[in-house]
Amino acid sequence: MTKRIRSKIARGSAEVAILTLLAEQPLYGFEIGKRIEERTKGALSFTLASLYPMLYELEKRGWVSGRWEANQAGRDRRYYCLTPAGKKALVPLRREWKVFFRALDRLAGVAHA
Amino acid sequence: MPEWKLLVRERMESFGLAPAEGEAIVAELASHLEDVYEEACAQGLCKSDAIERSLGQVADWRGLSRNIQRAKCKEGMMNQRTKTLWLPGLISLTAAMFFLMISELVGLQPRFLAPRFFAPMHTGTTNANVPLVAYLPWLGLLPLCGAAGAFLSRRAGGQRLARLGAGLFPGIALFCLVCFLTLLGQIVPFEHDWFALVTALLFVSVPPGVALLLGVIPFLKEDGSAPLASSQS
Repeated sequence: MTKRIRSKIARGSAEVAILTLLAEQPLYGFEIGKRIEERTKGALSFTLASLYPMLYELEKRGWVSGRWEANQAGRDRRYYCLTPAGKKALVPLRREWKVFFRALDRLAGVAHA
Repeated sequence: MPEWKLLVRERMESFGLAPAEGEAIVAELASHLEDVYEEACAQGLCKSDAIERSLGQVADWRGLSRNIQRAKCKEGMMNQRTKTLWLPGLISLTAAMFFLMISELVGLQPRFLAPRFFAPMHTGTTNANVPLVAYLPWLGLLPLCGAAGAFLSRRAGGQRLARLGAGLFPGIALFCLVCFLTLLGQIVPFEHDWFALVTALLFVSVPPGVALLLGVIPFLKEDGSAPLASSQS
């Protein structure tokens, strides 16, 4: 099983993780948390306390927008989708993370660690 | 099943938001806890353990309230526009004025250029005898001021337009000041030659604007739509 990443590193990556998922399809908070956990095989996981302040922050920046809709079980959930500004913001954000990983790899060989 | 909304409402502090918005947050958080609870039940946990797992999502409710309030608050201590436009712009303006003051203090004299059509109102003359003044050493330093404004704006996550505005801020401020004084009749009375007025306005705004722009251009290239120091709380 993949070891869980410490909270400080996870928190830094939350922004790009959330925007990347929402670029694929609208999701509600619980789904976002589950998807991140599944896709990272448990390395990244967000609780309610870490997820929602970030979602609201992204919403304030105008990168995501939320609306109430019924989910498959017929319960009202607040679905978040990426706005055009969010799509635009995701491009340099991804680039920054790529540069960051490459730099870290050059420094510490994290890719082969 | 527990009354999740009630549980959340009891634990959360007041958000300082409109009641409807606060209630929507409570509903959203409650729905998340409900989902965690149902997942736990589906995994075979007993109700009390499932509730414990749900409530374990939040270790510090007061901290969560604060974080949500901070995230939701429209205007923090300093909003994005202040950080990316007004503050870098004011720093750029201060630097420009500082350089102007220094250049005068060290005795770098301005050049007096024709045509001579400025006339202070109090002289009452139509044959102007105040020339256009070009502070060439100052103009030479202005790219640094423009660069400083644009750099600070980019560092704060400013978009291209904000960086441009911050860098050109001294020129814009100067132009507005001259327009304002002109309207008050302090520099050129209204009955004066309009061609001279427009020329004067262009003279005080275009050369500094171009000089500032030279400093701004290098900072317009990179896209800064994603703040480097984004607010991770």
